[in-house]
Amino acid sequence: MKLLLTAAAFLLTTVVFSQNYTISGSVKDSTNGEDLYGAQIKVKELENVGALTNAYGFYSLTLEKGSYTLVFRASGFDSKEVKVDLNEDVVIDLELNIPKEVQEIGPVIVNAEKENDNITSSEMNVTKFTPKDISTIPVLFGEQDIMKTLQLTPGVKGAGEGNAGFYVRGGGADQNLILLDEAPVYNASHLLGFFSVFNSDAIKDVALYKSGIPAEYGGRASSVMDVKMRDGNKKKFGMSGGIGLISSRLTVEAPIVKDKGSFIVSGRRSYADLFLKLSPNEDQRNTQLFFYDLNAKANYKFGDKDRVFISGYFGRDRFGFSDIFGFNWGNQTATVRWNHLFGSKLFSNTSFVYSNFDYEFNIGTGDDGFGVKSSIQDFNLKQDYSYYANKNNSIKFGIQAIHHTFRPGALTGGNSSFNEVVLDPRYALEVGAYIQNNQKIGTRFNIMYGLRYSGFNLMGEGKAYEFDEDGTLTGERNYGSWESIQYHHGLEPRFSASYVLSENNSIKASYNRNLQFIHQLSNSTTSSPTDVWVPSSNIIKPQIADQVALGYYHNLKKNMYRISTEIYYKDLQNQIDYRNGAQTVLNDLVEGELVFGDGHAYGLELQIEKKKGNFTGWISYTLSRSLRTFADIDNGKEFPARQDRIHDISVVLMYKLNDAIALSSSFVYYTGDAVTFPSGKYEVGGATLPFYTERNGYRFPDYHRLDVGLTWYFKDRKNFEHNMNFSIYNTYARENAFTITFEENVETGETQAVQTTLFRLIPAITYNFNLK
Amino acid sequence: MRKLAYILGIVLLASSCQKVIDVDLNEANQTIVIEGNYTGEDSTVRVSVTLTSSYFNNDPSPTVDNAVVTITDQNGATTVIPSIGNGLYELTGYTPDYGTRYTLSVVSDGQTYNAGCLMPAPVQLDPITYQYLDGFFGADPGYVSILNFQDPANTTDFYQIVITENQTSFDRIDQIQTQDDALTNGNYIQRPLFLSDLSQLGDTISYEFRTVDEVIFDYTFQAVDIAGGSNSAAPGNPITNWDNGALGYFNAYGVSRDTVVIQ
Repeated sequence: MKLLLTAAAFLLTTVVFSQNYTISGSVKDSTNGEDLYGAQIKVKELENVGALTNAYGFYSLTLEKGSYTLVFRASGFDSKEVKVDLNEDVVIDLELNIPKEVQEIGPVIVNAEKENDNITSSEMNVTKFTPKDISTIPVLFGEQDIMKTLQLTPGVKGAGEGNAGFYVRGGGADQNLILLDEAPVYNASHLLGFFSVFNSDAIKDVALYKSGIPAEYGGRASSVMDVKMRDGNKKKFGMSGGIGLISSRLTVEAPIVKDKGSFIVSGRRSYADLFLKLSPNEDQRNTQLFFYDLNAKANYKFGDKDRVFISGYFGRDRFGFSDIFGFNWGNQTATVRWNHLFGSKLFSNTSFVYSNFDYEFNIGTGDDGFGVKSSIQDFNLKQDYSYYANKNNSIKFGIQAIHHTFRPGALTGGNSSFNEVVLDPRYALEVGAYIQNNQKIGTRFNIMYGLRYSGFNLMGEGKAYEFDEDGTLTGERNYGSWESIQYHHGLEPRFSASYVLSENNSIKASYNRNLQFIHQLSNSTTSSPTDVWVPSSNIIKPQIADQVALGYYHNLKKNMYRISTEIYYKDLQNQIDYRNGAQTVLNDLVEGELVFGDGHAYGLELQIEKKKGNFTGWISYTLSRSLRTFADIDNGKEFPARQDRIHDISVVLMYKLNDAIALSSSFVYYTGDAVTFPSGKYEVGGATLPFYTERNGYRFPDYHRLDVGLTWYFKDRKNFEHNMNFSIYNTYARENAFTITFEENVETGETQAVQTTLFRLIPAITYNFNLK
Repeated sequence: MRKLAYILGIVLLASSCQKVIDVDLNEANQTIVIEGNYTGEDSTVRVSVTLTSSYFNNDPSPTVDNAVVTITDQNGATTVIPSIGNGLYELTGYTPDYGTRYTLSVVSDGQTYNAGCLMPAPVQLDPITYQYLDGFFGADPGYVSILNFQDPANTTDFYQIVITENQTSFDRIDQIQTQDDALTNGNYIQRPLFLSDLSQLGDTISYEFRTVDEVIFDYTFQAVDIAGGSNSAAPGNPITNWDNGALGYFNAYGVSRDTVVIQ
């Protein structure tokens, strides 16, 4: 109660009875009219007073009557100053210019601006990138990938070659909420993880929250990766694209009505299999292996107060072998949003979101054929408000409801010996409500405090099962349509604070609790699109994560170097694992195959980053542990999670040699994943079997790899720029382990360990162009 | 253009590789391994008792000859299974009572191990048929044999199938084929059983068709996965009917057989 009163007092002290007026408006990129997200509006005369633009470029700042100089700033843009005599509410819409020199030299950002936003910003514990920031970093097959680049930052770890997903601060791959224009993306990878679904040409920016997660986000335990699509050029027609060895891409954008609305359509298609058609081998000719995806978005402004956005993503992977075997999977998302401004202080956004992920495989054709299908489908309605109360407080609040439909699997056949099997679909309604305030106290102290309520109602129509402790079915009950089977709910406090020690250093701290109601079950060391999502139920409890984090940030040499140090501790409850030898395919009783336990993770993250000059990049190091305890695994002994990588180092270096050539390299090194190996063997039934004694008691060999890249910028013509990117993945051809299997050598009968490596050295060439 | 495809082939496909590596493994304590088979066909119980060994040690498994091995029927009547040396124990002339449970017990080194197993009645195997197939996945054309039987509708059934082609018997636990009726209960089952190569004219194919307890079906399934170099995130020892930490299994089963010559 005391805490509440203090909080109320904070709020009230800022409301003083003088004449206040509001400055509001939008900030855009002058070249294409795109909204700038996170642009700063500072008041020169007042210390620690200002505003940030929201995701739609909108800002609002309420000040006392008087004369002020406003400084508009955004990373990668020239800043602008505007003088204002404030004696009534004013609207200032502004466009910021990209510095001329930057336009000429391509992607390496040289910003003359004093940049200590990382120190003074009230936004905490967030890693942000735009595709421009990463365009020269070498990647697999030369395809720019924002998800792969995020994995080079501290605390974020890729799940490994050939695996989709990533791990944040010791959490599982299913504990990351991945949003594309607010639509959850259930499988963010193509070709089993070699590409992400995010086409850089269509992406405006990506923000990853590792801790201090704002209250507006809910539903996953570890992190939020918020990807925003571009709105499309509002000024004029533009076309850009790239041609690579494996895939090509094309983006078209144009105004619908100049400065009022625009659209963008961006597509990709990989075509490695087209080359297989030329193969002399018939089997190879009949092999299909490709993906395609399409991003589309349109927005239109109705008057000064309303704006509508429609965006969608459609992607599909296809893998097949003539008509014997076919396997395809993909995501579809659609988002419709309506922005409305009530006066100059209350910003409203209403979203309707659809998201679907499904996979399907078919074996054989005609009467003997059969197929398996599975999907998860969401309909999501969201209402969010931002209220810019006064110069020290901005309040966000909103509500959300998601209807989930899980279709865990259906087997359909011709007149083969199989009976048709359709696993019961499961239905759930997930609801959330939140309120959060960003508050400035004095000139150095910023806090964000919020509370989220989340609920999850698993509903009929369907069956609920009960199991004994060995996973044997003991009972079942039928539920009618919309009848509640189980309701889980809880409160999620979110808190973060930053204190500016000087203009060169600051400390930040955060605490957050996150609940997760849907869970992905993976029965393999390598991820697969067939990993199933299951809802919380009478058997499965929601996962709960509590995290505290503390950081110290220091800038050196006029913000040339940024050094950050963060430590965290995370407590995880109700974690899920399979019983040994679980039967997971087409099993209505899959909940009986699960065991539950707890975990904790902690770590230290260090990063030094050079932001300015011809030579840029960063070095990051993470020291961390992630441990689990399950009563049913190893008799309750603590064991490391698969992603328990103790040491993790990334080095990213970019060097601009001259106006034509930019060089880059990235190096990663990490402790091998924890894995279960046999500690002995025995003979049974004529075969030699490995004897397992402990879960994850061993390690893969340490992983390391160096990639290098060179981008050659051709001399620009007016309105046309183009470049050629050469890259080498795994330059010294390190044979990193994809899998290690223990088996009997067929010829000698001796037992041996066999390591499979997916990628040794891989060169790639990509041609990119941009018609402006 | 072909050259480009070749280059791409190297880039895409030949980049991956496999090699045998050295892995430093812990030494687990030696654990008892008991394999018991009671086949109704010849009324014989065969038991082997061995110990686990180091993973990269290629000597034969250590055997246990001084264990006391007994079998107990559903009525509590216990019969001793005598040792015949080399870790083996054998009891002949032990008439099966199908549909009942048997318990196998082993006392070794002061420890007692028990495993219970239901012995289902044999299910009649109908004559094996076969079908000609064009080769695919680069395999030579040939014949595949087809399993035919009527699954009883009133029971949940589990089967093991041991295939013998000419003189070669595919009877290792990781070669044995399995069938259950979870998706096919009460159906007339016709299922092709593939060997690594298709059979040719003149080949003789025999099936030993076993009705087994559910725990044995699960064990076989898991053993196949593990022996083949498991890729499971949580590989474990197959779940056995032995208690007290013993490895292996006790399988009491009914048998029905058929043979066909492909012509």
